[in-house]
Amino acid sequence: MKKAIVSILLSTNIIFIIGCGDIGKPADTKVKGGEIVVNFSSKMMKDSLLQKGLIDKNQVVFGYKAYKIPYTTTDEHGDKVEVSGLFVIPTEVPTEISTLGFSMVSDDHGTIFANSDAPSVIASNSGTPDGASIILTSLGGFATLQPDYIGFGDSYKKHYHPFILKNSSASTTIDFIKAVKNFAYNNNILLNNQLFLTGYSEGGYVSMATLQKIEEEGELSVDMAIPMAGPYDVNLTAFGVLSSPTLSVPSFMANFAYAYAKAYDREVSTVLNEPYASKLPTLIDGSKRRELIDPELSYDTTGATGLFNPTFVNNFFQYSNFWFREAVVENSVSDWSPNTPVRLLHCQGDDVIPYAISQITEAKMQGMGAKDVKLIPVEKELRLDHNVTHGECGEYAYKLAIRIFSKIREEKFGY
Amino acid sequence: MRKIAILSIFTTSLIVAGGYKIPEQSLNSMALSGAYVAHTMDADSAYFNPANMVFLDSNRDMMEAGLTIVHLKENRFRGRQALSPTNIYDANGTSEVENKTIPYFHYISNPIGNLRWGMSLTVPAGLKKRWLVHPDRYTINTNEFENAYQELFAKEFSLKVTEFNPVISYKISDKFAIGGGIRVVYSEGEVYNDGNYVGVPIRREMQGNTIEYGYNLATTYRPLPDVNLAMTYRSNVNLNEKADSGDANLYIGNLGRQYSANVKIPLPASLNLAISKTWLDRFTLEFDYERTYWSKYKSLDFNYGSKIPSSLVEAFDNPKPKNWKDTDTFRLGATLKMENITYMLAYAKDETPVPKEYINYELPDSDANIYSVGVRIDISDTLSWGVAYLYDDKDSTTLKAGENRNGIIGKFSKGGAELFTTSLSYKF
Repeated sequence: MKKAIVSILLSTNIIFIIGCGDIGKPADTKVKGGEIVVNFSSKMMKDSLLQKGLIDKNQVVFGYKAYKIPYTTTDEHGDKVEVSGLFVIPTEVPTEISTLGFSMVSDDHGTIFANSDAPSVIASNSGTPDGASIILTSLGGFATLQPDYIGFGDSYKKHYHPFILKNSSASTTIDFIKAVKNFAYNNNILLNNQLFLTGYSEGGYVSMATLQKIEEEGELSVDMAIPMAGPYDVNLTAFGVLSSPTLSVPSFMANFAYAYAKAYDREVSTVLNEPYASKLPTLIDGSKRRELIDPELSYDTTGATGLFNPTFVNNFFQYSNFWFREAVVENSVSDWSPNTPVRLLHCQGDDVIPYAISQITEAKMQGMGAKDVKLIPVEKELRLDHNVTHGECGEYAYKLAIRIFSKIREEKFGY
Repeated sequence: MRKIAILSIFTTSLIVAGGYKIPEQSLNSMALSGAYVAHTMDADSAYFNPANMVFLDSNRDMMEAGLTIVHLKENRFRGRQALSPTNIYDANGTSEVENKTIPYFHYISNPIGNLRWGMSLTVPAGLKKRWLVHPDRYTINTNEFENAYQELFAKEFSLKVTEFNPVISYKISDKFAIGGGIRVVYSEGEVYNDGNYVGVPIRREMQGNTIEYGYNLATTYRPLPDVNLAMTYRSNVNLNEKADSGDANLYIGNLGRQYSANVKIPLPASLNLAISKTWLDRFTLEFDYERTYWSKYKSLDFNYGSKIPSSLVEAFDNPKPKNWKDTDTFRLGATLKMENITYMLAYAKDETPVPKEYINYELPDSDANIYSVGVRIDISDTLSWGVAYLYDDKDSTTLKAGENRNGIIGKFSKGGAELFTTSLSYKF
């Protein structure tokens, strides 16, 4: 029919050129080994940050280009898992910086429950810059590496999230650093050999686990690690939680218990009471945010109506060779002596991960011979006139971390 | 989009009547401001009242071909744009002046008993509004470019419509005839939005097209030899503009992706009731009432073939309520037929379908007064030509704070159009 109409129209011999232009074709987002998911010019970034009152007009702001990179890592059982991460680079940088290459900051994110909050998923879904990578890349000029973790991104609904489990947490980050180096090489992105590790909350724990594994393996080298507000001493954390009558955030502990049961091949129902044990697989499968999960769980730590199975809690306190006692010791990242400079950032007003955890970690590491491990209270360093909670501390801690990283980069590269 | 470019030589885009309908599609209709339904005289009867085809004097084939040059004046906006209750910005703007040329063609066959058939190729609707940022129109004090907010909402919004309308009429008696036809409507829509000048780095480029169908009906009753009563109806045609992948691009920052998309826009139904009276076979007055059923246009809802980024959903995916209202248009035309020359003069009062609550930059429409004049000269028994001029004078529209759902606060002024038509008619 369309053809017939064309011929009828043409037969009228009325020819008046009015026409319409063709629209442009967007550049292909596929690159070797990944996909461009965000691309903002420096002007767009500056306009946006100025509009939100986050910078003053004299601040130097770089463009922001983010890639989603798929890669392979291993879980707690040593099995391969297909995962993903977000790699962000600054654009429109001065020639002297681009010729020296970008310094890398591996930034491990804090606890999330919803897959939609994973770094590469946020970037892919929204197409906009988000979170700490804005500070690290557009303001700091660093290449930022953010693994989604197992259980999120490309492994969403294919694998449970190994929450506060040392081996897979470290592998996920290390394998991403290696994947990014390979990706950058294949796509002519020049990186220098300077590598920093950081992360907040769960990310603080993951970055410390990563540093420990990197030092054990000896393949990569790290210029400095700044873990922030992480539960490094898992043993101490477990004792603290299980000895309290109530849980402030039950989803954290449920996630923790579920991951450990899966990693150590235990029935979840031997750790958690019903109905919570049965509900958990769907509650924490990555489809819900924490706000929807907490109301489905008990705020009592244990007992008939509590979250944890009373037998499990009794065994934990009674037997030093109980599997969970051994597991939390095995997964602690506080009891070793790093050779790499480490700065532990923590807010003294932290209401979720006590400041004391970092104090103990610093003391243990120094006691074991670490020469350059130092705890920095964020409020004091930034001269804040009040203590800051766990939720509020992240922004301050990142600003402080970037200041420290920038100073070290300047000492090494002059910018 | 390239594949349909050949069709676009017949389509054009503009807006001269209320909404985006263009009633005037011939020399006579232009000269009479559309007061041309009961007393139609030439080949354009095929379009304006096919029932009248069987009452035409000529027993020959008839045709008319013409050109209309349209000069669309700029719309001026002086005021502010609220992006949220607390974010309100200066948003002065001036839309582009548009000059377009519209062709049309009408044909009526010689009578076959009580039957007669015909066809029309017309541009029954169109819209083109462009608010472009010009780098030289920059106010240092406010750090703003003229048209910056308008570009976000309607950098370009155009609808190009061409209709092929074969019709047939049947004379039931010397006083009564009926007619009707099929509407084959080809249209192209284009939408461009760009928020870069207001610090919102999002952009949309979309071109779609479609072929849709409708019908039209007509009847004429002549109670007296010099009095015509007529009723015509053109059905609603939903223009479901479809863009293939590659013809709908969305950008966030510098990153663009291709989507397939579609958006539905109605070409509304209209009902015309008309009466004409002729004195001494020379002077005719016609009064025409037109009801246009714009209330079909409830919302502008773009649908994409795949999920779009969440940060674009509010701007480019969520339906935009329109809630247009049905309109009334009143037209009065006078025709004086001399020996070899016909003079025409008319006035029309046109109502806008766009409520103040939902007005937007893509179509800052308002009520209008329409004035027109024209002349047709017979060169021979078979050949005539003519010219017509129409002036469309739009009212200003002032929007107070909180009155408009799109956050527009200020005054739209100017606008309107001037149209010049010339045509050639031939009987053979």
